Amino acid sequence: MPTDAPPRSRVDGVPQLLAQIWDEALDPGYAAAAARKQREDPAARRRTRTLGAGLSLALVGILLAAAVVQANAARPAVAQRRVDLLARIQAQTQRYDTVTTAAAALQVEVDRLKSVALGATGQGKLLDGQLGTLELAAAQRPVTGPGLRITLDDAVAPGSGSQGDPSLGRVLDRDLQMVVNGLWAAGAEAVSVNDQRLTSLSAIRSAGDAILVDYRPLTRPYVVEAIGDPRTIEADFAAGAAGRGLRTLQQTYGVRYSVDAASALTLAAAATTGLRYARPVSRQQDPAQQEVTP
Amino acid sequence: MIAVLGLVVGIALGLFLHPVVPLWMQPYLPIAVVAALDAVFGAVRATLEGIFDDKVFVISFVSNVLVAALIVFLGDQLGVGSQLSTGVVVVLAMRIFSNAASIRRQLFGG
Repeated sequence: MPTDAPPRSRVDGVPQLLAQIWDEALDPGYAAAAARKQREDPAARRRTRTLGAGLSLALVGILLAAAVVQANAARPAVAQRRVDLLARIQAQTQRYDTVTTAAAALQVEVDRLKSVALGATGQGKLLDGQLGTLELAAAQRPVTGPGLRITLDDAVAPGSGSQGDPSLGRVLDRDLQMVVNGLWAAGAEAVSVNDQRLTSLSAIRSAGDAILVDYRPLTRPYVVEAIGDPRTIEADFAAGAAGRGLRTLQQTYGVRYSVDAASALTLAAAATTGLRYARPVSRQQDPAQQEVTP
Repeated sequence: MIAVLGLVVGIALGLFLHPVVPLWMQPYLPIAVVAALDAVFGAVRATLEGIFDDKVFVISFVSNVLVAALIVFLGDQLGVGSQLSTGVVVVLAMRIFSNAASIRRQLFGG
């Protein structure tokens, strides 16, 4: 290809097109109008009738300003929506807290009245004792005793680890599940996560980046408290799969945790009430027999 | 003079009146603005070259804005709206640059 050929003579299309756009940047109408005016009335060549141009430019200005205003207005709207959502979440969480507190207070009142009613007769006293044991197991009563406190937290600087992914250094719902299951396996009699008592119906799961216990979001650090035999629970936990898992998390991802023995822990009662659908098999029918002959 | 005044008044009106842009129009507004800017740069160049004609300017301004919006609208209907927007912006930006270079040569002799 000859190097001295002007670019627009090339036939491969695209440079020609670009050159044409560049050359004809000025609307050809101007030249045509000027030529026509020159033909018709050479004297009026510089006549300025700029009212139409002024109006058009005013329109340009309105367009420009409207576009700028629009682009700027869209940004705060997104931020505003986020703030609104945050406020709503906080308000609902607060409402949940007040309602839960009220429910707890009412539960105390119910328990007191129940004790008074049952305490009237000898059989009632016996039942009250049984009830107490059952409620302890069902996490319906606050409990106190010696045990273990495990504190988990995200890695110090997420992403600074060898993996580089910031999400790897975070404590996940799976990690908490593992710790809680490890505590149950180590003989814990009552477990709570960030002061939320766990029952047999509790769920630890995640939604987005947040970990939820019974649909309530947790904030870090995550404190898992368990009441159990102070002589064995710590050793059993450390020797179990959960203890090994925690050490792996710490070594691999930098997740921080500490395990402390506590001489006196107090765990609150769970907020959930009893079973709503499950019914005990009635005493008259033998459950084993019922299974055999449906 | 009237032209500059018109531009200033237009910007002031747009800023203070906060015209509500209808939702269906919002995707086409930025493209329309770029097309309008192209018409304005063309007009400035024509003025400096002494061949400005207000009729040509008004027609080029209106048709520029409408055609640019129409192309983007068609692109949206065909599912290639963002690509066509890019194309329109590239062509208009090239024209603006070319006109700006010409204006610079006229004003500063560079």
